[in-house]
Amino acid sequence: MIPQHHPTETLLVDYGTGALDRNARLVVAGHLGVCESCRRVVAEIEELGGALLAALAPAPLQPDALDMALARIERPAPVAITSTAPNDWIAVPWEVIEAARTRRRWAAPGVWVAPIARGPGKARGYLLGIAAGMGVPRHTHRGAEMICVLKGAYRDGDALHRPGDFAWNDETVEHQPRITSDGECVCLVAAGGPLVPRDWMGRIFQPLVGI
Amino acid sequence: MNAIAIGALSTTLGPHAPTRAAGRRMTSCAGSTGPDGATFSGCIVRIAERGDRDAFACLFNHFAPRVKSYLIRLGAVPEAAEELAQETLLTVWRRAAAFDPARAAASTWIFTIARNLRIDLARRDGRVPTSDDSELSEAPARPDDALSALENYTRIGIAVASLPREQAQVISLAFFADKAHSEIAGELGLPLGTVKSRLRLAMARLRGALAEIAP
Repeated sequence: MIPQHHPTETLLVDYGTGALDRNARLVVAGHLGVCESCRRVVAEIEELGGALLAALAPAPLQPDALDMALARIERPAPVAITSTAPNDWIAVPWEVIEAARTRRRWAAPGVWVAPIARGPGKARGYLLGIAAGMGVPRHTHRGAEMICVLKGAYRDGDALHRPGDFAWNDETVEHQPRITSDGECVCLVAAGGPLVPRDWMGRIFQPLVGI
Repeated sequence: MNAIAIGALSTTLGPHAPTRAAGRRMTSCAGSTGPDGATFSGCIVRIAERGDRDAFACLFNHFAPRVKSYLIRLGAVPEAAEELAQETLLTVWRRAAAFDPARAAASTWIFTIARNLRIDLARRDGRVPTSDDSELSEAPARPDDALSALENYTRIGIAVASLPREQAQVISLAFFADKAHSEIAGELGLPLGTVKSRLRLAMARLRGALAEIAP
């Protein structure tokens, strides 16, 4: 499946240079896992990053640095985390799967959240699962919000967002997305601040979800 | 769709089976006088195939001091930078089998590992890194210092040195000052579009130099 909604080139470059925080990085990584064309943009930036790294004047290490490293590889490596995402999700980094496995909680009927990481400031990273056919109350945002669909689909106006699709919403976007009727939708979200509800239903929804 | 967890420290570009180019095996990866991509790639392949400690030592000696240098330029105190450089190279050891020499140069792969480790450490437990954070120094390197730190005998060093100053400046802020486009625009008092086009122009001019660095 080829995603239809992509991060901007600017965001891809910020990802490549390391300017995105952890939560944003994970959301963009979710999209990259299924998008060859965005991966090519990032690969070029990373190639430049590697070349710059390799050309940097070295900073001297402690005299025993190599010995310490060799001693550490003698010890058994930490067991690689091989948890597997549910097989109807697109591939995601392991910490996302861990969050779903260990921190998932029901926030409202038909809605679950699993926090991934907090900060900086009001920023939050979380997984959001919403049941088939449900509407998210009309809302806008404080700060930018990035979303990557991991499973299922939602409709936002005329646009259909399916697995791997990326969305960027900011305070200028007021919307009322709706999950399609064919199944639960799971999204990976990096939000700069809490949702700002626009109607009474949203005011109830928000404290329940706690985001 | 088959979904597999990707390792914590990978470049998160999706699960990929290691493909190892036969005949790429190097008898030695000495010669750390310049970034010889093919040779360093060979070292990673040797680690993956037979846990080759000499290959690891070779990679470590070349890259660990440069990863440390990179992190110091991004504001880490030397002790934290050294620890993270160690962790970066240990990750290279542990995840060597995930490296695909046909897809990326060794330097590219090691850059992404260092970059991701730094981001994850800075944001762990939601802590906001500040100037009085013990892991960050009070005086991040100035961007112009960072570019002058490129060794001028390297191809990329020469190419960057020949960029117009305003293009070199955005490259430096993007890679060595942890700045997103919008922050660079704010800092330089430029419209976002100008920052984008300068970065694009710089990338186009550096492409030739990058092409000469074999994967």
